Amino acid sequence: MTTATARPIRAIPRSWIALGVLALALLALPLVLRSDSRLNIAILVLVYAALAQAWNILGGFAGQISLGNAAFFGIGAYTSTVLLSRWEVTPWLGMLAGALVAAIFAVIIGYPVFRLGGHYFAIATIALAEIVYTIFNDWEWVGGATGMLIPFARDIETGRPTNSLYYLQFNLGKAPYFYIALALVVLVTVVTVIVDRSKLGYYLRAIKNDQDAARALGVHVLRYKLIAIAISAAFSAVIGTFYAQYLLYIDPETTMRLELSVLIALVAILGGVGTVAGPLVGAAVLIPAAELTRQQLGGSGNAIDLILYGALIVLISIFQPNGLMGLVQRLRHRGGPRPTATPTEQQATAREEAPMLGGYEEERG
Amino acid sequence: MALLELDAITKRFGGLVANHEVTFQVDRGEIVGLIGPNGAGKTTLFNCISGFFPPTSGTVRFDGTDVTGWPAERLVHQGMVRTFQVVRTFPDLTVRENVMIGAFARTNSASTARKIADEMLEFTGLAPRADVLGANLPIAQKKRVELARALATGPQLLMLDEVMAGLTPAERVQAVELIRAIRARGITVLLVEHVMEVVMPISDRVIVLDSGRKIAEGPPQAIVENPEVIAAYLGEKYRPRREETGEG
Repeated sequence: MTTATARPIRAIPRSWIALGVLALALLALPLVLRSDSRLNIAILVLVYAALAQAWNILGGFAGQISLGNAAFFGIGAYTSTVLLSRWEVTPWLGMLAGALVAAIFAVIIGYPVFRLGGHYFAIATIALAEIVYTIFNDWEWVGGATGMLIPFARDIETGRPTNSLYYLQFNLGKAPYFYIALALVVLVTVVTVIVDRSKLGYYLRAIKNDQDAARALGVHVLRYKLIAIAISAAFSAVIGTFYAQYLLYIDPETTMRLELSVLIALVAILGGVGTVAGPLVGAAVLIPAAELTRQQLGGSGNAIDLILYGALIVLISIFQPNGLMGLVQRLRHRGGPRPTATPTEQQATAREEAPMLGGYEEERG
Repeated sequence: MALLELDAITKRFGGLVANHEVTFQVDRGEIVGLIGPNGAGKTTLFNCISGFFPPTSGTVRFDGTDVTGWPAERLVHQGMVRTFQVVRTFPDLTVRENVMIGAFARTNSASTARKIADEMLEFTGLAPRADVLGANLPIAQKKRVELARALATGPQLLMLDEVMAGLTPAERVQAVELIRAIRARGITVLLVEHVMEVVMPISDRVIVLDSGRKIAEGPPQAIVENPEVIAAYLGEKYRPRREETGEG
């Protein structure tokens, strides 16, 4: 912090320049991609980046691995769709309503489930998400297994499909969806950065490291986990609404299935849990790969993508537990003139003995 | 003025009585040592006081308030903080961040927390290590981090569970100095210790537990001469020799 403020103004941090270039590239992307199928993959990348980023607040910072985030996503999609198709409520409001419903749901289930530690929490989230899936699958009022169609926005005079901001629908091309998805990614990322630097972020990391030690320092562990799951659920739901408006059709299979929950977690884990850039990097790498393999393998190899996900999780946890971001850091330190990595234990002990023996004497004298 | 008052604290685990009607008090500004042989119930009593589990019966009063059964996180905000026998440094956080977690008990602002943390790092001699990850510290420094982050919560009562265990004699001397300096800041200290020679010179008063009961209480000198304590804590073989030198 102090070095940054002491630096002369003209030296703009290199990371800012990189960020600016990246922003420009992303804004120009729809102009370059042109074809709808390629733009579709780009939009999916953004959707998963945002979902993984939302997952990261709970799974990455607080270390509570959820394999049920699709339930929040689905609740968001269903809430706005029900409001729109039954009462003509704009999806923008539906988005907020979905976020609220998902956050309340998350707190209600979080209260008991957070008493479970480690793997049991993850298993419980799978079970709860499956329950939600089953309920929606059997609930006729919301379409049951056949799902719900989102009312198509048409020009009143000509009856042709049209763009409508009120209906959050763009039927003349996918580019607006791309920009909205991009805005959502930016929104969730900004929230993540704020969380990262705030008391909440510090507390969540402490909880991930050692809950009892955190309690002994005055951290109300359950309260902060509930805050984390509420934020995570709310943003997952917002993205759910967007996704419903993008597909214009939802059913439990597309919005709540287990594979979706697993993929969300996997994107974050591949990129690097607990880092701001990790989920974004993970989505940029994994989603195009997943989409392309799915297109190649077609309908015949329905479960092959799942096998690949499983294999990826095993490989990451064995060889690269810190994900791609860990890999990037390692490479950077290898290439750099002097390693800025934290010293190894031996270096630390060797260097500290001398100054520390006198350290306290100085303090007193 | 009593800061901490224990009244007939009993803790049972099924049929096992870990603490039996332990009663004592700690006055403001005191350094009190709590000693006893292995399995005497020191750490259990510590956990009962600091809110890691509720006592089976009895009451704990802190600063005039009945805090029996309060959870640890609530007690911290009341001004009572503890450290752990087996250090629990947050491994993925830097030393400064470790201490900031403690400081957040007093503030919601990250920059204020950082300021408090830096002051505590200075006080405990950890300032040069501020940016090292918790996982990469040697044991003596991990113990200092525990102290620093407990102090960062702004306690009235600091409870130390075997801070000296695992330290070299030279490190122990430093730790003793540090505890004295903490008291000089107006903080009351209750320390559970196994190492007798550490407790005796710094404690104003010593409380001895054996098999879950309080068997003696008093100034260090009286405790080392108490035959019951010698027998229970130091072993039977010390009894005759002590009596000879003491009375002869």
